[in-house]
Amino acid sequence: MPKPFHELRERLLQAGVAPRHVRRYLSELADHLTDLTAEEEQAGCDRADAESAAFVRLGSMDNLARAMTEKRQFQSWCSRAPWACFGLAPLFVLVSAWCFALFILWSGWRIFLPETETPFVPIHGLAIFYFGVGKLTYFTAPLLIGWGIGIIAARQRLKVMWPAFGITVIALIGGTAQIHAGRVSGGAEHVGMRFALEPSLQGSILNCLTLLLLSILPYLLWRVLKARSFGRSATCA
Amino acid sequence: MLSMASRETNPNFMNGVPELLILRLLQHEEMYGYEIVQAIRGRSEAVITIGEGVVYPVLHALENDRALKSRRITVNGRSRIYYSVTPAGARRLADLAQNWTNLAAAIQTMLKGGKYAEAIP
Repeated sequence: MPKPFHELRERLLQAGVAPRHVRRYLSELADHLTDLTAEEEQAGCDRADAESAAFVRLGSMDNLARAMTEKRQFQSWCSRAPWACFGLAPLFVLVSAWCFALFILWSGWRIFLPETETPFVPIHGLAIFYFGVGKLTYFTAPLLIGWGIGIIAARQRLKVMWPAFGITVIALIGGTAQIHAGRVSGGAEHVGMRFALEPSLQGSILNCLTLLLLSILPYLLWRVLKARSFGRSATCA
Repeated sequence: MLSMASRETNPNFMNGVPELLILRLLQHEEMYGYEIVQAIRGRSEAVITIGEGVVYPVLHALENDRALKSRRITVNGRSRIYYSVTPAGARRLADLAQNWTNLAAAIQTMLKGGKYAEAIP
């Protein structure tokens, strides 16, 4: 990608334009630039002059950026409603994943362990796989959602505040969540969740911090690398 | 976005003009961005020159509004996105054209003096 397009991409993303619109815009601009360069070459310019003239005809960086940023319909949802993208949506995904995990636990208990008082007993055979799917979903959901928030924030060049908020909320919820299961009167299986700093306060805080660090680390690393590469290109310029 | 014979035009006055020109050009044949810009320049005898790169946000916005549809075609080894007008786009073109005709007629009347010609020095 020519350097001006690289700068344009960064400007558009930082202005909140959705990545898919940016990608398509730049792809069409690159095609247009190729056509303009060919036209200028046919008119007798050498390659370097033809490219310069083509860039001038394409438009200034400010105009190209403004043409996109002034149209609200190109703004990403993360830019329009960050509270929904980094607050509500991750919570919704986490609740959905945990509902699925609880369903696996409840149904597995009924299928494989109908006689036991609790599903938390040694298991064998197919039950290991079945309960394993639920366990994997339960334990990895907060981490995967945290990484997802980081990836979205990185793609859209968002400031750190909203992604950090989203990851912190997920880490707090993930670190304090507990599953309980038992038979209610009549013998029916009951599974549920609660959020508490128990059985030990230190353990829960450690859980939250571990989850927070593991979730946010890739995003922070990306920011550091990005800042370094930006510093390097600024020095070269 | 648009300039008239290299003079800057008040953008507010040009509101809706890029859409009108693009919809009119694409009414009967599909074109890709570069072709559209060249066609505007050619058919307006270079009176209207469009800032070439900024045609794409207009095209994308029209497509978002379902006034245009696009398809990718490979020609001579190069992939291009061709745009054409939808029925909704045709209706929008008719509205824009009517508005523009009314506006142009009103301005023409004003320039010629019209009803109050004697009052204009």
